Amino acid sequence: MRARAGSGKWETKRRRAFLLGLIPAVVVLAGITIAPALYLLLTSLTPLDLTRAETTALDFSRPWTNYAELWTDKRFHNSVWVQVKLSAVTVLLQLLIGLGVALLLNARSVFLEAVRTVFLIPMVLPPIVVSIMWKVLYIPDVSPVHRLLEALGYPIESLITHPIWALWAIALADTWEWFPFTMLILLAALQMIPDEPLEAARIDGAGRWQLFRFIILPFLRPTLVVAGLFRLIDSIKAFPLIYVLTNGGPGLVTEVTNYYAFIQAFNFSYWGYAGAIAVLMVSGVFFLSWMINRMTAPSPMYAE
Amino acid sequence: MSKDRSGSGVTRRRVLQIGAAAIHPLKAPAQVGTAKPFAGTTLNVACWSGPYPKLLAEYVPEFEQKTGIKVSYETPSFPIYNQRADLELSTKGSAYDVLNITFIYSSRWIGAGWFTPLDEFIKDPNRTPPDWEPGDFLEGVVKPMRDRNNRVYGFPWIADSMICAAARFDLVKQAGFGMPRNFDELMQILKAVHRKDGVAGFVNENHHGWTFPPYIMGFGGNVFRNPPDDLMPVLDSPEAIEAAEYYANILKNYAPSGVLSFMYDQAVNVLKLGRANLITFNHAWLLTLGDPKTSQVARTVNYDLMPAGPKGRFPGVASHAWGIPVGSKKKDAAWEFIKWALSKELLHRLLVEKGYGSITRSSVIKSPEFKKKNLVNDIDLADLYLKTIDIAATGYMAYRTVHVYPQVDKQLDKAIELVASGQMSGKEAMKLAQENSIRDLQKAGVKL
Repeated sequence: MRARAGSGKWETKRRRAFLLGLIPAVVVLAGITIAPALYLLLTSLTPLDLTRAETTALDFSRPWTNYAELWTDKRFHNSVWVQVKLSAVTVLLQLLIGLGVALLLNARSVFLEAVRTVFLIPMVLPPIVVSIMWKVLYIPDVSPVHRLLEALGYPIESLITHPIWALWAIALADTWEWFPFTMLILLAALQMIPDEPLEAARIDGAGRWQLFRFIILPFLRPTLVVAGLFRLIDSIKAFPLIYVLTNGGPGLVTEVTNYYAFIQAFNFSYWGYAGAIAVLMVSGVFFLSWMINRMTAPSPMYAE
Repeated sequence: MSKDRSGSGVTRRRVLQIGAAAIHPLKAPAQVGTAKPFAGTTLNVACWSGPYPKLLAEYVPEFEQKTGIKVSYETPSFPIYNQRADLELSTKGSAYDVLNITFIYSSRWIGAGWFTPLDEFIKDPNRTPPDWEPGDFLEGVVKPMRDRNNRVYGFPWIADSMICAAARFDLVKQAGFGMPRNFDELMQILKAVHRKDGVAGFVNENHHGWTFPPYIMGFGGNVFRNPPDDLMPVLDSPEAIEAAEYYANILKNYAPSGVLSFMYDQAVNVLKLGRANLITFNHAWLLTLGDPKTSQVARTVNYDLMPAGPKGRFPGVASHAWGIPVGSKKKDAAWEFIKWALSKELLHRLLVEKGYGSITRSSVIKSPEFKKKNLVNDIDLADLYLKTIDIAATGYMAYRTVHVYPQVDKQLDKAIELVASGQMSGKEAMKLAQENSIRDLQKAGVKL
């Protein structure tokens, strides 16, 4: 009994020491993450507009006005739909291309290791550089692609000002920039697959497709889910490409939600309204993070 | 005694003064009483990348040498400048000491109290010598920079006047036409010359909120019902819809591929390269088409007034001005910069040495050099410039300086894109612009 009591005290002290050690990190986290998020939430409940002095002293008399307005704002609804389309296309393409390239590069060779490094370049470039690069490729007057096609007798219209192709143009640039991320994660997962089941299947006469379908893919499935969800969250941040390439146009076809929030805040100074859009976006991202957490949490069997 | 003490030239007091200045160099008055009272000051100056601010950059070292002031000078593109300035001004911060007051933001920025009134600087002879002559600026372009009490917040460096140019007028002439006098002629010319010699018929920048309203007015419409008193948007009027169909279809049918992504400099470059022909745009930019050093169409370019619509001629006229943000901590030094940048001497030099033609001072406009520099292929651009400013003096530009115009400006951009890209008819797009404008204006507290 006495030993158990002593061990309990020690446990309590240990827990306290851990908590004490965590305090600085929690304070920093609160300062740089929670406080601004709370301020954003408060702002979203006000009509804050920096060009109107009467709104700058946070007025909470009609706290739900911005959210009610969003409910009927067709341009906001459109921006959410554009975001859904863009995210779906880019995540799918990045997973498929990332998986394909990872399978091709999954071998031990000095050459392939060098190629892997080359494939990582788009991911480490600053997003604005990627945007400018693609802008050059998409402007008919200066684009080598457009010029080549024109010289071959197959001129094409500018993709970034075409109502059908503009979103695809953004998706293509985004995929180029971020497929290395999925490739890298999947390559690491591929290298973790044990040789035994593969060898056993080969001895049993399995072909390449059967190896992939029945052994490699089941092994990769959890990694694919995680990579996909990470990219899904990140796809919501596809701002620089849209800002540089299309400005949300032509019309509204590439205007995603964060770009719409940006216009409301930075072009019109409607900070309360933009805050409400941002709060909804943050809620969406939190929901996705929660899903990732649930889907990647170790099952109780392994936990024990 | 005193004679003896001062005879050496070095007194105890003088030694102490020098010592104190050496110990506290930053706190010592900045060489008060010398020719460079602001030496050592750093000014942060920003403007959008128009012809004048770019040319001015070449002269800034002279100002630095003359005053000892160091100038950190930025000229980002028009939309980026406006976003950055709007945000910085709204915080009343001190990051910038001299900023451009953009025309469409003039009422919003001045009305919100984000700029410093310049009257006290002008009236003080110690700060402004009489020969600087504030009254020399064209009053029509200074007016948007005044508040209701007639206090002035900025002095303009440009009178952006919309004219018409045909970069390849030879093709227009071959087709049997002259410069378009009205919208009908413009359409006929475009039909006749589009793709002749591989040249697109028309081009313009993608800031339709600037280029499109003259067409709305030409058809008899307006942006607001009766600005600045009645700010109810009237973008879904039959006249505005007709204008949207007309203008967007010009872009759709007669402009180069990708025109909806062209900013002002790209549009002008396309003209200079001879890849597009007609444009209705700003005099200061179009004047550069006549410069053989940078333009391949210098010999073929022709100019005229903005074509008239069925209800009249309404070329856009806008002014942009240097002002001092209210948060600046170096206002006196900032005023030195503005005085220098807009002095008669420097504007005259910009005209003579760089060919800058959008002058805002009467004395320089009246000079023979102004007329000479504005003569391209025997076309008197000075005359077109002054005529355009006169036309705008009737007051129809009032829509542009109301504090909520930036919101409507963006809706017009979107409406024209929607029609020109074939996503909507003029009626649908302008109805949407009307709905969205009303929503945006109500958010800004405008009672409609």
